[in-house]
Amino acid sequence: MSQKSERRGIHVDQSELLCKKGCGYYGNAAWQGLCSKCWREEYQRARQKQIQEDWALAEKLQREEEAAYASSQGAQSQPSLTPFSKFEEKKTNEKTRKVTTVKKFFSPSSRTAPKKAPCEKVEKVSGARERHGEALLRDLRGMFTQPWEMMSPTEESHEGKTPSPSISRQSSIETDRVSRDFVDFLKNLQKPGREIHKQCRAFIENMANKKDLGADELSECVQDFYQNMSDRLMTHFKGSTERVERVMDQVEKYIMTRLYKNVFCPETTDDEKKDLATQHRIRALHWVTIEMLCVPVDEEIPEVSDNVVKAITDVIEMDSKRVPRDKLACITRCSKHIFNAIKITKNEPASADDFLPTLIYIVLKANPPRLQSNIQYITRFCNPSRLMTGEDGYYFTNLCCAVAFIEKLDAQSLNLSAEDFERYMSGQASPRKQEPELWPQAGPGGGGGSSPGLTQVYQSLDLLTGLEARQERVLEGARGLESDLISWQESVEREVQEILEKYPLEIRTPASAIDSDNVENDRLPPPLQPQVFVG
Amino acid sequence: MAASGAGSGSKTYSFKVVLLGEGCVGKTSLVLRYCENKFNDKHITTLQASFLTKKLNIGGKRVNLAIWDTAGQERFHALGPIYYRDSNGAILVYDVTDEDSFQKVKNWVKELRKMLGNEICLCIVGNKIDLEKERNVSVQEAEQYAESVGAKHYHSSAKLNKGIEELFLDLCKRMMETAQADVRAKGNGASQSGMSRRGVQIIDDEPQAAMAAGGCCSSA
Ligand SMILES: Nc1nc2c(ncn2[C@@H]2O[C@H](COP(=O)(O)OP(=O)(O)O)[C@@H](O)[C@H]2O)c(=O)[nH]1
Ligand SMILES: [Mg+2]
Repeated sequence: MSQKSERRGIHVDQSELLCKKGCGYYGNAAWQGLCSKCWREEYQRARQKQIQEDWALAEKLQREEEAAYASSQGAQSQPSLTPFSKFEEKKTNEKTRKVTTVKKFFSPSSRTAPKKAPCEKVEKVSGARERHGEALLRDLRGMFTQPWEMMSPTEESHEGKTPSPSISRQSSIETDRVSRDFVDFLKNLQKPGREIHKQCRAFIENMANKKDLGADELSECVQDFYQNMSDRLMTHFKGSTERVERVMDQVEKYIMTRLYKNVFCPETTDDEKKDLATQHRIRALHWVTIEMLCVPVDEEIPEVSDNVVKAITDVIEMDSKRVPRDKLACITRCSKHIFNAIKITKNEPASADDFLPTLIYIVLKANPPRLQSNIQYITRFCNPSRLMTGEDGYYFTNLCCAVAFIEKLDAQSLNLSAEDFERYMSGQASPRKQEPELWPQAGPGGGGGSSPGLTQVYQSLDLLTGLEARQERVLEGARGLESDLISWQESVEREVQEILEKYPLEIRTPASAIDSDNVENDRLPPPLQPQVFVG
Repeated sequence: MAASGAGSGSKTYSFKVVLLGEGCVGKTSLVLRYCENKFNDKHITTLQASFLTKKLNIGGKRVNLAIWDTAGQERFHALGPIYYRDSNGAILVYDVTDEDSFQKVKNWVKELRKMLGNEICLCIVGNKIDLEKERNVSVQEAEQYAESVGAKHYHSSAKLNKGIEELFLDLCKRMMETAQADVRAKGNGASQSGMSRRGVQIIDDEPQAAMAAGGCCSSA
């Protein structure tokens, strides 16, 4: 007799005719139970979502293309799968392998595929760590990426796709983020935004087929693309240079983040060889002093040495960026720190005569990783308007000058005699004779300005000691908390026990029959007694 | 600054100009005087004087001038080509009291003409004319030399702020002419991409014919 059984019949409840949104109007099955107004709203939202998903899907497809491309490259390294046509290519890879192995140690983000073997060794050594890192990264990724962008873990840990999974994953996170930013940015431009997106994607696809081109041709392709794009934008924005530049910056960021791994230090060039040569050269020049270069910077002033350290950090950081403009920004930041150091020392604005020697000094101190590759990459793929006339371009040019100077540097350029130069280069003598005695003085509190590197080491050690102490305190606190919890639990248990003992729970089994506890029983008349009649 | 014309042309020229010359002839002093109107001033606000910019309006055309200081010491001489690559103009400075510095200018001129041809506008500047009494380079010789190599000659004093505005304004006008001639040449078939890759950006929403007149520079 419940109401439910009634509803199962033909009866239609009034509430079922109303809009599902609960707005009070009548709904319609054709509008999925909504009223016309709510339906329109819902439809709009769905459409919007659809648009967004379309973009996301486009992105995903792009990524899949890239993944497929990467794995097809990976296959080449397996002899059984190597087609004959690729045989020559493999041989050249073989030849460069030795150099590449070294590079792998320094580079967080180099190309994928062909050189799998040497990298596996590296992986084995740090296996446990890597795995831990992977898990962490996956967790982070889960937190920050949209569900549709997550690939399944099995797909990700697929063997042999890339030499170092955790690294490539990190860069793919960055690629995702850049793509998302790009799409977000273009949304504000509406229709042209979509056109730009389409063009960029088509270009990237196109470039994937051109991986056999030489570096100059690759550069030409990208530069032509920039040129065409900015010409079109110029027409669209009616000559507003600033707006064009703003879009072009985003275009560069999007395109170059994606092309990076194929066009940075490509195998068709000797960039890598030059990197190593420069690295060795700088190492061999470790003895060059501030005085020999006439650097107008006094590192005894703490503020100055602080700026010097920052400048060194900035120029080293350049290698970690993928977008040419971001690399340029590192050079600019480095230069600004140099200017600060000069301004504090000399109390006048730095001229080129001050700046260039100081930059040379910084480069010698920093020995930035893959310096030549980075310079080539910026030259080939940066938006030209920045490189030619802009401030960034000036600093970049000076960096090129610094490298050229370091390559050609001889006794004369340091005002040394040829003999002295030879002796220093061969390591037979050191111009800093007094330094070994100075080193021990540069103790923790001494702040020995003689060697900024050493001071830095001591500062870092101090920091580490501080961190260790804090960690110890945290651990102590945690242990305290743990024992507090344990003793609290024990005390609660004890109390409960005490109470239980004080007031023992006695469960009295009901003595009588069913209605024994019926209070009303008393009021009932006594049960009828059988009356016996004799007669 | 230059006459702010009512011209409707919305072009922006971007020019790169390098400063070349021996150390101590006054290169840095010249730009600081031009861009900050300061000389030997301890209270200069700019952090650096190696890359300075100036915005000009010449005959209604906007000009962004980027002035690149170069390291003048002899040991950096070989780096010159890296600095002056893609520049539209070069200011070659010597010290009128120093004959040697004038010889250095001659070397630079040779090198620039060899590397960049006639694309680049050259200015030869005899600085420190406030030290006229100690002059070691004859005016006539310097001016004749400049003319012989297709350069313009100027005299200046960063100390007294003499001849500097004129020098830069003149140079800008000549660079504009060169750029326009370039556009006209490129207009006949060649692609424009080479143009902007050389560093000159001409944003042009006027018909080509309008600028072919070439007379805009005589206005200021
Ligand atoms: N008397 C005089 N001295 C000048 C003039 N221009 C620069 N100087 C001085 O010449 C020296 C070198 O100038 P600087 O601008 O550093 O030359 P740079 O090495 O070519 O950049 C400084 O001491 C200036 O004060 C000038 O027009 N007249
Ligand atoms: Mg100077």
